[in-house]
Amino acid sequence: MLEFIPGSLRMGGFTDRNFRSILTPQYLRYIWDTIVLSAATTVLTLVASYPLAYALARTRSPARRSLLLILTLAPFFTGAIVRTYAWMLVLGNSFIRWPVKLLFEPAGVLIGLVHFSMPAMILILGAAISHINPAYERAAASLGARPARVFWRVTFPLSMPGMVSGSLVIFAWTFSAFATPELLGGGRVKMIANVVKDLALDSFNWPGSAAFAVVALALTLALLAVVGRALGRTPA
Amino acid sequence: MIARGAALLLLAFLTLPTIVVIAASFNPTAILSFPPDGLSLRWYENALTYPQFRRAAVNTVIVTAASVAVALPIGTAAALALVRYPVPAPGAWNALLLSPLVIPGVAAGLGLLILAARLGLLANRSVLVVAHVVLVLPFVIRSVMVSVANLDPMMERAAASLGARPWRVFWRVTLPLLRPGLFAAVLFAVIVSANEFVVSLFISTRVTEILPVAMFTYVVNYTDPTMAALSTLFIAATFVVVFVADRLLRLATMFQIEDPR
Amino acid sequence: MVRRSLTVSFTLALLLVAPLVSLAADPLVVSIWGGNWKDTVERIVAKPFTAKTGIPVEFEVGGTLDRLAKARVSKAAPLVDITLTTSHVGRLYISDGLFEKLDMAKLPNAKDLAREALRSDSHVGVWAYVYTIAYRPDVVKADITKWADLWDPKLKDKIGMPDFDPSHIITISALLEGGDEVNWQKGQERLKRLKPNIAAFFSTDARSQDLMKTGEAPIQVMLSINAFHLIDQGLNVKVITPTDKPGIVGIDTMAIMAGTKKSAAAHEFINFALSREIQEQLVAAFKAGPTNLKAAVPANLRGQAGVFTSPAEWKDRGYIMNDDVRAKTLPAWKEWFNANIVAK
Repeated sequence: MLEFIPGSLRMGGFTDRNFRSILTPQYLRYIWDTIVLSAATTVLTLVASYPLAYALARTRSPARRSLLLILTLAPFFTGAIVRTYAWMLVLGNSFIRWPVKLLFEPAGVLIGLVHFSMPAMILILGAAISHINPAYERAAASLGARPARVFWRVTFPLSMPGMVSGSLVIFAWTFSAFATPELLGGGRVKMIANVVKDLALDSFNWPGSAAFAVVALALTLALLAVVGRALGRTPA
Repeated sequence: MIARGAALLLLAFLTLPTIVVIAASFNPTAILSFPPDGLSLRWYENALTYPQFRRAAVNTVIVTAASVAVALPIGTAAALALVRYPVPAPGAWNALLLSPLVIPGVAAGLGLLILAARLGLLANRSVLVVAHVVLVLPFVIRSVMVSVANLDPMMERAAASLGARPWRVFWRVTLPLLRPGLFAAVLFAVIVSANEFVVSLFISTRVTEILPVAMFTYVVNYTDPTMAALSTLFIAATFVVVFVADRLLRLATMFQIEDPR
Repeated sequence: MVRRSLTVSFTLALLLVAPLVSLAADPLVVSIWGGNWKDTVERIVAKPFTAKTGIPVEFEVGGTLDRLAKARVSKAAPLVDITLTTSHVGRLYISDGLFEKLDMAKLPNAKDLAREALRSDSHVGVWAYVYTIAYRPDVVKADITKWADLWDPKLKDKIGMPDFDPSHIITISALLEGGDEVNWQKGQERLKRLKPNIAAFFSTDARSQDLMKTGEAPIQVMLSINAFHLIDQGLNVKVITPTDKPGIVGIDTMAIMAGTKKSAAAHEFINFALSREIQEQLVAAFKAGPTNLKAAVPANLRGQAGVFTSPAEWKDRGYIMNDDVRAKTLPAWKEWFNANIVAK
């Protein structure tokens, strides 16, 4: 869909001017912020989702599994606007008095992004953990390993593929996030998608906006390829 | 024990915003306070009578229904083709069909905005429908592909050998066997389309905008808890849908989470 | 079962797509900011207008600049008939050929307008206000009387201001250093020194109100209309008329979109909004200055910030920036402001 943009700009031929105009420190800073926020979101989401995914996959009670699944899926299916609005209420000072400023700060955006990403990560990790044959765990236990040791030496390493594909999905997803930083960032915390919109709709710099979008897309794909290869898998 | 405590804490984190939204929706005054000085349903009344929300709700139903109706046959055909037939360069097809998941919504929205404006279609819901079809297709294809992979071609061959013509085999054997995948596809498509925001924001006008866009506009313009009331209704509806879907479809199986043996 | 549901969904799709082709009832469409702006204009101008003429009115809402962007891309087939925007952004519409030339013969009420309200032959002012200092005396224990007071170190982390349009504070900083909106660079260093006192930026009116209500930014460089709106909601807010330099005047204007098929109705609507009766009601609702000098202003509003009632007051009580300079320099201002003031 990107090709629509350059096609409608009434430009004379191709030029790298638009790319150079966005490679200023200010715009590089937005790209860097986006990478940092996406990486932090991925790591925190992974850590926060694992216990819930484990419970979902390993609980023996179908009722509990259903409850966990519904509590996970409902926010997943409620959409970005409702959930982000909810976080505006939680993080703003009108409801709860927070000791530090959270709304319109990177920390608040990070919280919103992690919350937004958790359901997907839980589902991906849950499937991965559920596919680990419990016989391995039982074997380790029968050889005298204590539960914690069984988990760290058997279950955790075997869930690695799920962790990798989940992380890649969340990273790509967060990299193009728009609604969460738009509402929770309040113009102070901007990610690439917000800058693309600002350039196009506020500064009327359509070529710059398109160039920035292309850079963002190329970066996402490149990062995914590099991370995917490093982890020994191609992006799913 | 520690693990269980951590799980409960994380579950609390996951549900915290929902609880706060519900609490805020009953706040009696426009300026939020906690604990509230009483309970009031006035924001629910406001949410349900606000004309733009009503119009957006109608638009959401129309756009979602139309895009699901269009995406379902296309997605089913694509899933059948991708699993069954030796298409050239299957990897490229896969990537192309899944690309809407990766392309930033803002870029797609801007592109569509310019295109729709050129074609003079900006005041028309068909642009939204086209965009939503593209956005829900990956989910439809993924869901149906799982069912196609589980479908035993012997069943179809048996029907054919008994003299059924190809169309009849398709209608009578293939489609019924794909039912779980089709239901899952509809569920996903409805949820994705009804919640789509980023692309829709760029290509809607007051006449065509869907609920998420109307809600966004409300949030940036008003500070009263009307949005909390509407969100609560939205969340309640989602819970019902997910609950019913869990009963009917066994969601755990759908997400490949099985009983520990 | 599956077959039936497929058939049903196809029929449904056909039924739904069919009416998409024809668009229902043909209202006059007005493009305006959301929230209080739309609500007030709808209540005071549109409803009585419809009652009087039978012409239904609908509103397309959005921010100042994203409405301009949408107007630009849909230039060939405009989605709206009338646009309300600030006088300087109106200049950008005009330079893109988006506004139709007004037919003054169809706007008889325009003859009563202040000279400053006739911004061009395509857009006319409907109300005026100032960007000035508003603060909560119950939270801020200092007495603020002039622009220079904002730089007082005692006001650390107290000030809020818009980030979508920094032209006011940039111009004020320049004026304090002997420059103006053309020689705005003169105020750059001064404005950078204000950074420690800035607590927050806002992109929307709703956010500005929130910052005031919660006390996160109890002093704001603010639109006088919005400040009065907060007072109406019961908040203890003081709107001052700075003594060192005047507030920056804002004039919101109405214009007719080029290519509209409802030019006659649009002229009628604008003329209606400029009439003495409607202007008086707008003044009472917004606590803004009327552009129609015949409109009577209630005694309690006379002399308030942004409420100009005579040609002399229009000239002396506010600083009116050059629309063209303001419109053309805005991108540069925003870029500089974002890089040097907003960024940490």
